[in-house]
Amino acid sequence: MEAPRPRIAITVGDPAGIGPEIARKAADDPRVREVCEPLLYGPPADVAFEPGVLSPDAGQAAYDAVCRAVRDAQDGTVNGIATAPVNKMAFALAGLPWRGHTELLAHLTGSAQVAMMFWSEPLKVVLATVHVPLADVPRLLTRELLDGIITLVARELPRFGLQDPRLALAGLNPHAGEGDLLGGEEGHVLAPAVAAARARGVNIDGPFPGDTVFVRASRGEFDAVIACYHDQGLIPVKLLAFGQAVNVTLGLPIVRTSVDHGTAFDIAGRGVADPSSMIVATLLAARLASTRDAGG
Amino acid sequence: MAPDMHAQPLVGLMLGDATGIGPEIAVKLLSTALAAGDDAPPARLAVVGDARVLELGMRDAGISVPYQIYPRLDQVAWSADHIPVIDLANLDPASVARGEVSPESGRACGDTLKYMIDLALDGQLDGICFAPLNKAALHSGGWHFTDEHQMFAHLTGHTGFFGEMNVIPEFATFRVTSHVALRAALDMITPERIGLALRLAHATLRDMGHEHPRIGVAALNPHCGENGLFGDEEITTIRPTVETLRAEGIDATGPISSDTIFIKAKRGDFDGVVMMYHDQGQIATKLLGFNKGVTVTAGLKTVFTTPAHGTAFDILGQGKADPGALAHAVRLAAMLAGAASRR
Repeated sequence: MEAPRPRIAITVGDPAGIGPEIARKAADDPRVREVCEPLLYGPPADVAFEPGVLSPDAGQAAYDAVCRAVRDAQDGTVNGIATAPVNKMAFALAGLPWRGHTELLAHLTGSAQVAMMFWSEPLKVVLATVHVPLADVPRLLTRELLDGIITLVARELPRFGLQDPRLALAGLNPHAGEGDLLGGEEGHVLAPAVAAARARGVNIDGPFPGDTVFVRASRGEFDAVIACYHDQGLIPVKLLAFGQAVNVTLGLPIVRTSVDHGTAFDIAGRGVADPSSMIVATLLAARLASTRDAGG
Repeated sequence: MAPDMHAQPLVGLMLGDATGIGPEIAVKLLSTALAAGDDAPPARLAVVGDARVLELGMRDAGISVPYQIYPRLDQVAWSADHIPVIDLANLDPASVARGEVSPESGRACGDTLKYMIDLALDGQLDGICFAPLNKAALHSGGWHFTDEHQMFAHLTGHTGFFGEMNVIPEFATFRVTSHVALRAALDMITPERIGLALRLAHATLRDMGHEHPRIGVAALNPHCGENGLFGDEEITTIRPTVETLRAEGIDATGPISSDTIFIKAKRGDFDGVVMMYHDQGQIATKLLGFNKGVTVTAGLKTVFTTPAHGTAFDILGQGKADPGALAHAVRLAAMLAGAASRR
């Protein structure tokens, strides 16, 4: 007998943005309906929001939808969540302390450590640091942070269908420091973190020069690369899989994927928003939900 | 070669590290250059190095190229019948093991480049193109520089701003900072250096034939700093510098998030990209097939070009090394040297 299609919650995000439009388009897409049963989570249809206008009510509505989706995912009513974009400013206006989805989801599910991963066919990248100034990265990239993220990635990837993942760590400096000539972080922090992880049985290698490790991963040498900073990981992901990469949160007890763009208030309510990122995010949520249910 | 060949710039070709594929692709390139036609580079080409290494390249390539040894470049009888060679007799290829790093071969590479630079400074060479070097060999052979660009700047007595430029078919990249630790690079990202890199990009792209070069300038922080939330260098440093240079007539655009600027450049929005730090541009160009590209040392008195790929020990002596990037490097050297000589 054919396995039932997973039920995927699509949260509409900030209702004044393009979220409701792309969520509806994705839920109606035949490719999506073929692999999952999409369920829209958002404010009731009779509550109107003016497109493109920032408001606390819209922030609150986006928040409420995420809370319901998480609750339903935790009790098994749905098998995964794909999220349309929320607006950080609207959250703030509504008095909500979270800067975005990832922090909110970690809070709602009581997850101690989460990480942002970009999933595409040619390349999978996990970010060790995310939305911080580049000048702060060398200081933030501690042994403790790396130990945590390597452990998290090694533990989580098998749950997403990547058994015995081969991991690589990118270097921070040009040529991965070239033996201390171009920076000491590789020798003092990154290489010891890799060695310690290997001693724990994690299949990880590196640190490798940033300008070759993504080429090697895209050729199949590694299943995922841990990047030291946002742009180091996003430059290759966007070049190799523009519009096809999905943001996945690692470390949650539930499957959660997200679009890779914002609320686009400037074109909200005009019917012209491109749903392709929402569609690939929903398709991936369906696939990951099936893998996790089957693989445990 | 064209009849007005004496007007063409004189480009010196160095055969690269003798332990790698350099001699093989040099011979293939020279063979094509002699055959002339539309594919011939717009330059007079002379080999500078050891004639025995050239012979080695012919054996690797399975091609014979007629050549004639001259004591000096000003005695060359330019003709389409042969390639002139300045034989430095400074490396017996039988004395080095091939397919591995050889300090002896590295020393010879450095010596040959030094010789060519002196010829260029004396006005006898207009540009220098070299087949792949092995950086470790160069270093162990006694040429202690962070990279070959620093070596060329030192040997040409250059003191101002200059830089590595990377050319792929879609666009070229220029660097505000290059081979320094990321922490150090962050301190070097100043209005002055950004301005110098932009001006160098503008001038070099014009020399490459872009009459009005369109240049994209990369941001430093994620999401272009997201209005100062993730860093403020875009607001305090990069944007004001871009605006100043635009006012001078340079068509610069930016700062642009580094995860979108290369997509824009790839689809043709820019002729050049000015990047803030090494990995920013190198991650992009290597993913886009930089192995077929060319590395240029821009901003020095003499033009230096080389293929972006390395000595490829893994395919050594099989006759299948592709001379495409070297041909592009020779063409670029000729173009840049020609533009410089017209100034």
